[in-house]
Amino acid sequence: MNGRENRTRLLKKQDVVLIAILLALAGCLAAWFQLRPVEECIAVVEQNGQVIRRIDLDRQTQTEELALGGPYQVKLLVEPGAISFFSSACPDKTCIRTGKLTRPGQSAVCLPARVSVRLESGGTSGFDGVTG
Amino acid sequence: MRQQGYLNLSPRTQRIAFNGLLGTLALVLSAWEGMLPPIPVLPPGAKLGLSNLVTMYAAGTVGLGPALCIAILKGLFAGITRGFVAMLMSLSGGVASTLVMWFFLRLKGNPFGMIGLGVAGALSHNAAQLCVAALLTTPAIVWYIPWLLLFGVCSGILTGLVLRAVMPLLDKWRPIERDA
Repeated sequence: MNGRENRTRLLKKQDVVLIAILLALAGCLAAWFQLRPVEECIAVVEQNGQVIRRIDLDRQTQTEELALGGPYQVKLLVEPGAISFFSSACPDKTCIRTGKLTRPGQSAVCLPARVSVRLESGGTSGFDGVTG
Repeated sequence: MRQQGYLNLSPRTQRIAFNGLLGTLALVLSAWEGMLPPIPVLPPGAKLGLSNLVTMYAAGTVGLGPALCIAILKGLFAGITRGFVAMLMSLSGGVASTLVMWFFLRLKGNPFGMIGLGVAGALSHNAAQLCVAALLTTPAIVWYIPWLLLFGVCSGILTGLVLRAVMPLLDKWRPIERDA
């Protein structure tokens, strides 16, 4: 155990460098995701890993609920230009707290119910590149 | 001479007792964290990762094996109390962060201080969970990465700071190593 001396150091120069790089990376990614031009916005709803609905949010004219059933009775709220988890019987409600999705690239997930909603731009594929 | 918290027990017994203590601490911290109300400003799903304190300390003191056992124990506990998905998430994150922190601590001339280690641990935790979540649902959650990076850095710094504060207390109970 030669680590004791190392561990007691609280902050090293490398820590600051690491944190700075990570924050810069987060900022760049967030900016890239946000600044992509807004195109038509299609909500892709997946349940158990399969696409069950594709909803064009730009053509949506009224607010409606979309009940997906399943063990958690997930309900989505589809509005003109936005979609969100309306209710779910899952324990943590993470999906509901995610709030409304309005831009391509955003997504909300209910892991226990294995339901995900993501917004894609109008093209055939939602991704123009995924790394990592 | 360092104050010793144990009676005259054999080194093996001391190690077992100490590992048990750390495992319990991890469970208590994760249970307590689960009881905290969600903080509205935080991104959904973000947690403080308090029990990472224990895995980080364990990775640096009692070695890889016991540290992994603690991470697995924590995952099973999450499985019992919060269900199968929570177990997968906890296991993947816990094992990944334990491995990463152990690796850096073991490097000759470990490049990071405790804050850097905490950040590395928190981010590997997040990365592993993101992979599992992507497998369970859809790769589309890569869009979540900026939030996870930002929040991982914050909670990692917190982990480093808190561990620095509580380490003397833990060290008091830590068995004296007699091996090389």
